This record gives sequence, structure tokens and C-alpha cells, in this order.
Amino acid sequence: MDMNTKKLKKNAFRITKKRYLTASRVRVPGGHMNAELLAAVTKIAKEYGNGTVHITSRQGFEIPDIPFGDIPKVNELLQPLIEGLHINQQAKDGGYPSSGTRNITACIGNCVCPYACYDTTAFAKRVEGAIFPNDLHFKIALTGCPNDCAKVRMHDFGVIGMTLPQYDKGRCVNCEACVKACKKKSVEALKTVNFKVERNHAKCIGCGECVINCPTRAWTRSSEQYYRLTLMGRTGKKNPRLGEDFIKWVDEDSIVKIILNTYGYVKEYIDTSAPGGKEHIGYIIDRTGFAEYKKWAMKGVGLGSDAELRETIYWGGVDYT
Amino acid sequence: MTRNEYVPFSSHVLQVTRHTAIEYTFRMEYSGELKPGQFFEVSLPKFGEAPISVSGIGDGTVDFTIRRVGRVTNEIFEKYAGENLLLRGPYGNGFDVEDYKGKELVIIAGGTGLSPVKGVVDYFSGHPDEVQGMTLLAGFKSPSDILFLEDFGRWKQTMDVILTVDFAEETDNSCQIGLVTEHIPQLKVKNKKEAAVIVVGPPVMMHFCAKGLLESTFSEENIWVSFERKMCCGIGKCGHCKIDDSYVCLDGPVFPYLKGKTLID
Amino acid sequence: MGYVLKTKDMDAILKKWGGDAIIFAPVRYAGQSEFSGQDSIRYGAVKSIGDIVFDEKSSFTFKEALLPLCETLFYFTENSVKEADGKEKSAIIFLRSCDLHALRVFDEIYLNSGPADYYYARLRENARFILMGCEKSFRNCFCVDMGTNISQNYDAYIKLDEGNVHVDNKFDGWTADFESAAQSSATVTPDYVTDTDVHVRIPENLSLDVMDSNMWTEYDTRCINCGRCNFSCPTCTCFTMQDIHYTDNGWAGERRRVHASCMVDGFTDVAGGASYRQGNGQRMRFKALHKVYDYKKRFGYHMCVGCGRCDDVCPEYISFSTIINKLEQGMEEVTVNDEK
Repeated sequence: MDMNTKKLKKNAFRITKKRYLTASRVRVPGGHMNAELLAAVTKIAKEYGNGTVHITSRQGFEIPDIPFGDIPKVNELLQPLIEGLHINQQAKDGGYPSSGTRNITACIGNCVCPYACYDTTAFAKRVEGAIFPNDLHFKIALTGCPNDCAKVRMHDFGVIGMTLPQYDKGRCVNCEACVKACKKKSVEALKTVNFKVERNHAKCIGCGECVINCPTRAWTRSSEQYYRLTLMGRTGKKNPRLGEDFIKWVDEDSIVKIILNTYGYVKEYIDTSAPGGKEHIGYIIDRTGFAEYKKWAMKGVGLGSDAELRETIYWGGVDYT
Repeated sequence: MTRNEYVPFSSHVLQVTRHTAIEYTFRMEYSGELKPGQFFEVSLPKFGEAPISVSGIGDGTVDFTIRRVGRVTNEIFEKYAGENLLLRGPYGNGFDVEDYKGKELVIIAGGTGLSPVKGVVDYFSGHPDEVQGMTLLAGFKSPSDILFLEDFGRWKQTMDVILTVDFAEETDNSCQIGLVTEHIPQLKVKNKKEAAVIVVGPPVMMHFCAKGLLESTFSEENIWVSFERKMCCGIGKCGHCKIDDSYVCLDGPVFPYLKGKTLID
Repeated sequence: MGYVLKTKDMDAILKKWGGDAIIFAPVRYAGQSEFSGQDSIRYGAVKSIGDIVFDEKSSFTFKEALLPLCETLFYFTENSVKEADGKEKSAIIFLRSCDLHALRVFDEIYLNSGPADYYYARLRENARFILMGCEKSFRNCFCVDMGTNISQNYDAYIKLDEGNVHVDNKFDGWTADFESAAQSSATVTPDYVTDTDVHVRIPENLSLDVMDSNMWTEYDTRCINCGRCNFSCPTCTCFTMQDIHYTDNGWAGERRRVHASCMVDGFTDVAGGASYRQGNGQRMRFKALHKVYDYKKRFGYHMCVGCGRCDDVCPEYISFSTIINKLEQGMEEVTVNDEK
């Protein structure tokens, strides 16, 4: 049996521990899909796999135990999924064109969750559209609010939804629901002064608890959408760590641009001798220094006036080395 | 045009009498119709308003006995003779002394509850012939909590006075020890069925006094009580003092016990 | 008198009225519910008929036009008090039949019970009311059972119909406006509903004894005492006073009143720390009995107008109509207990 494993992996199949058997990796940007598309997953699993499906940690499906020889047929069956999920593809029926940049994960977002500050799936699809296919190893996740159910701080790029609370003091009756909620559930950025509420903007994380808990609509959401962008969280064998804040109160366009800029930076500085040509961005930044990365990342990015950009970042985490 | 009930008028503090560390009486300038048991909204701009019952009525004066228990009253304690407080009122029905004339009268007061009823005590102390007999049963937590100590001497001359404290480290003969309820069975009243009784104090104290009075064969229909509730407006608008279909500020604070006992918050 | 007008002519009339009146009506506030990406329908100033939301129930009510959520009563310095000026413009208020019945409750408490309220009277005096009809009932409404589905005491009734505005005018001051703008005269009668999906039954024998029923205990834990039911209720009239000082040292400031909720902590607090009704279940009982029992005992008709807004807005899905319908069993429970 001759198989080009590099090509197989790039086509989103895995080299598994079972010789001659592969697994198909289905990406679902934003983790949300039309239920009808599940039929394609079922069909592949039943006809070419072992009848089981693994729901992956990155919100995709992995269909195991597919014989190498069936890959072309599986790719054909993947076509409705690729089209239905609007995945960029060069050759029809050829399956996925790349696998290095991982599925963009997202929490359920504001289509369902009352805490979410935006439509996470829609933003995830926008990011997917902008960066896929790409072979570089990027992990990106989006979460609706600072609860961070999507654990975005364990990703190279973490996007946390924020709202900039708008206060109409004429509608405030000083019931203190916001103050109590902010204290108990968030960061205690609110305090009562003269029977009205003062918000400490430096402290505020834009979670929206004040808005959610306000019974009179004294607090409402900003019409502008804001995010917190965190950088270079990672898992792994050397130095797992949480992502650090890069920009607070940043806009959507800037985030997409920064991610695209980062591809250029990685192409320039990646260690070409790295095993499999694969190196986490964070290790590259560790090597070049943050200032050089920031220079690349911010190229042509016009931040809004509310954005707070970190001067420099130091990461911590566990150092196994 | 509707009168603006909310805008207060300014009144001079004429005299400040200190009863205890936290209870003072402020004698204020006021001339107008007044009944004991009525209340004013007393305020200091920037600190707010509090309903305070009238504890004494004089010629061109009104007394407020204020316990230092909150934000407003704390500040009022900084006020002394010659300065001003803002007032609006009087509000509420108050006690009508006509209800008690010609009867044997028993007044049972607990703590600051003596303030709203003090005007009634003062009145009959000055007109002892207008009642068939009078007993004041006043209870306080401890000897240092006793209010109007200087008045008790005067009252003793025209009525039976039982002054009692819940507890005391040392006893002298100025007061007895025990809850007011313990004294109810011993009240020297000739005709309990016909005697009028006023009970004012904390809710629990009023509840047990009424119970004790009924057990001692006093008549329900001859008992009066006075309520204390949060009152922001004094004119039946703000809703804080509403209990069942009654507004304490409009229909009370003085209620016949028969009505008062149905007012459960 | 009834008229049919083109929408643009009605807009011209609103523009004219807008010269000395603020026109309050239910408006769509895009993205301003508590949740992101969701609109809120509540009262605001409008300039044209198109601004007004006719086909949805507002989550807050007209009462904010007559009793502002936060209202300055007077300004003070150490030695002087100055009454707050009244609004320069009067109010023209679009509302539904249930709301007009709620207006009666406001008038009862603020004008007729005890001394009249100066600030309410001032806003109420020149206020005009335009009825919005209900072709069908909304979710949670129970106006028919509360007898509030029909109203006659409006200044005008306005209905949108395929680009035209149908008006029934009862206010002489507006007759000339409508006469000159109308395409035609017509007989216009308000739409009203004759049935609702939700029904309520208030037991005849309802008494305060029901406070001892176990029916209230579930609300001790279900209710979060946020007060949304009160703030959205067209008949909740309570307020609290606040004194604001402008600087730390100065004496200048103002006294305000703000809407208050009997469900929210602090409503019954008296100086010294005492308070009444600590449990949310008993607060619920207090509110419920006010709406369908003790208000009637005092004023002769029920306070609740059956608009169902409290149900619409409760984050814990506590249904007030369900509470009303539990009262009968609650009474049975306490009556049986008494007999034991």
C-alpha cells in the first residue's frame, strides 16, 4: 500500500493507529449547522466507516475506520457538507483542501444564549471564509461573552463578545439589580453614587450583566459591537498557557485583519525545519519577540477610538521544558 | 390648582432635649392644628425625609422625639437650636382625645412608642378630671433607654404610672423590671370592659399586649393602636405603607384595634 | 365623529400637534431588549404614524408619560426650595383599552384618594389619549375577564388600514384638524377583543386568609424579586423619594421620586432596620391581593386590567394569571384548615 501521508493529512484525513484505516475530519465553522447535513455524516459512517462518529473537541465530526481506498468516495459524500457549510474549496468532490488551520469554534451565541453579546456562528463563518483553506496551524475560537464557555483563551486567537453598556439615568430607579449582579457575577465595576449608578470603564469587561438584570431598560446595549481579542493561548508538550489580552473593545473588521496579518508573519518567521512544517504561532512569537509580531499584526489596522491596545504582552503558563 | 404637598417649609429648631445617647427631642416652630399621633415628614435636603411622629404640642411649637437610627436621623442630630429643619405635614389621623374622655384610660407604650402617644398623656395629665382614671404603663429596654424621664415625675402626680425596663444591671426604685405585658394582669382598672386602652410600640409588643389585654377581659373595641411604616409621601400615593386596603398615612397611623388586627403586612 | 385620512395627512396633523405636545406611543427600540440582537417595544416620543408599533404589545406602559420613572420634585439650597418646572409641552398618549382602564387607577390614587398629587395633576391636566384598537388579543392578555377590553373615554381612536388612517374623534379641540384633512367622513368604531386565550377567575370568597395558603411558598424560590412585573404594570403606582446632592460639601441638590417595586428589597424598610415581608412569596401575595382584592375593597373595582405584561416580562416565567387562578384552591385550603 502506497499512500502520501502529507497529502492525506492536508485533505483532512488522519493517519490513525490502525494501519490502512483513516478517519475523515469534518469541520463545522461556528459549530452550528443545518440538521439535514447530518445525514451525510451518517451515510459516510455507515457505508465507509464503522458506523460510529466522534464529536470532536473542535466542534467537528471525525468518522473513523475508513479504508484508504474509499477516500475518493468519501470526498464525494462530503460535498453536500462542504457546500452546505460554505467551506472554501478549489476542486469539487475533492474533499477538504486543507486542514492546518483548524475549525473555527464558537459557543452557541446570541441566537440562543441570553448572555451572548453577538452571533458567534456568523462571525466564525466570516473568519472561516477569510482564512480557509490554509495549511498553517492556527487555532481560533469565539465566545459570546466573558464567561468564555468556548475556552477561547486556550487558542491562538480568542474572541470574547462585549457590549458597551449604555446608561439612561432617567430610567434608573436605583433598584441596584445591576450593581448586585455586577458584584456577584462579574467584576464589581458598578457602584451607586447619589442614587444613580457609576460604571468604572477601566474595570468593565462588557459582559452585559447590568443590561440583562436591569428591570427598567435604564441599561441597554451599545449599537456598536465590541470584542476582547486574546492572543496565543495554547496547549501542548512544552509550555501550555492561557491567551493574554491584546485589544479590549476592538471591532470585528480589525480582528479579521489581524488574523490575516498573522498568516503573513508566520510565513515569514516559521521554523521550516519544524517537524511536519508545523509550529505553533506562540513559539514563533517567543522567538521573534512580541514587538515584531505586533508590528506585523497591526499593519493597516485602523482601530476604533474605544479600542485599548496592549503595549506589550508577557505570557505565563506551565513550562515543562 | 392642586396644592403642592411635597414642597416642605422651613422651621426653626427652638430647643434640643437629650434623653439618651441616641434619642433627642427637637422643639420646632409650628403653629397650626395638630393632634397627638399625627406625623410630619421631617427632612434635611440632601439627606432625605423621614416620617416622625409628634411627641409634644405646645403654643406655637411641635416636638419631635427622634431616635438616631438612620441616614436622615443621623444628620438631624447634627442640628441644634437656632438652625432649621424642613417640615411638611401634619399627616395622618392622630389620636382624638374625645375618644377617651369620661373613660378609664390605660396607655401602654414600648420604647419610642411613647412619642406618638405622649400628647395624649400630656393632655390628660393637664385635664385629669376629664377621665375617670388613668394609667400609664411604659416599658423600655434598660434604664438608660428611658425617654421623657423628667416628664414621668409630673405625670405621677395625676395618674398611675408603671415604669418598667426589660432588664437592668442594678435596681433602684425608679422603675420596675419586666416586660410591659407582665404588668397587664395587675392593672388597677375598675371596669375593664369599658376602659379605653392605647397600645403603641414595636409590632411584637403590640401583638402581645393586645393578647394580654383580651385575656384580662379588656374589650377589643376599646383598644387603639398606632402603626409605624415606611412612608415616603404621607398622602396615600407612594404605596409603601399600604396594608390590605388601608394606607397607614391616610387612614392611620392610629387604628381601632378591631381594624388594626386585620392589617397584616 | 369619524374620518378617513391619508397617512401623510395624519402625519401632518401629528406634526402640528407636536408644536405644543409630546406624542407618546409604543416605539420599536432596535437592539434594546436585555438580550443582544433583540428589540424592545416601549414608550417613546413619535413624530409620525409610521413610528408607532400597532401590532405588538409594549413591554412598558404609558404611565411613564404621567409618572416619569425618575422625576425631580424640587431643587434646594440650604435656605431655599424651588419647585421643579413643569414640562413645556403637554402629552398626547397612544394606548390600548386596558391602559385606559389603568389610567382610571392612576387618577383614583393620584387625584381622588387623599390630597391630590401636584406633579401628576400637572402632567395629567392637559394630557390627551388616543386609543389603539386590538383586533386580536396578544399572548398572556386577559382583559375580557377583567372587563377592560372596551373603552369609550378616549379623545380619539386611531386605526391604520392599508395606508389610510381611520379616526373616531371625541375631542373638540381636534375637530377642525380632522375636518380639514379628512378624505371622507365615516363611522369608525374601535376594534376590541371579545375573547382571550388566557382566562382568570377571581374567587367570590377571596379574603386575606389566603395569605396563609401554601400557594405562595413556591414563589419564595421561583421569584427573584427583580420588580419587572411592577415596572411594566400599567397600574403599579408606587414611588420612593431620593435626595440628590450635587457636590460633597455643598447643600445644593434636588429631591426626586422614582418608581418603586413592592417586590424589590427595601420597599418596606423603616428607619432602624425593620422591614416587612422578607420572603418573595409573601411579597407576591401582597402584590397579587392588591391587584385583585384589596384595591377593589377600597375603590370598588379591580386594579388589575389584565394586560398580561407582568407575564410577558417575568424572567422566571411566573404567570400572574396563573396566580389569580390558584386563589380559589388557596381559599379552599385555608377554609379547610380553619374547619380543622
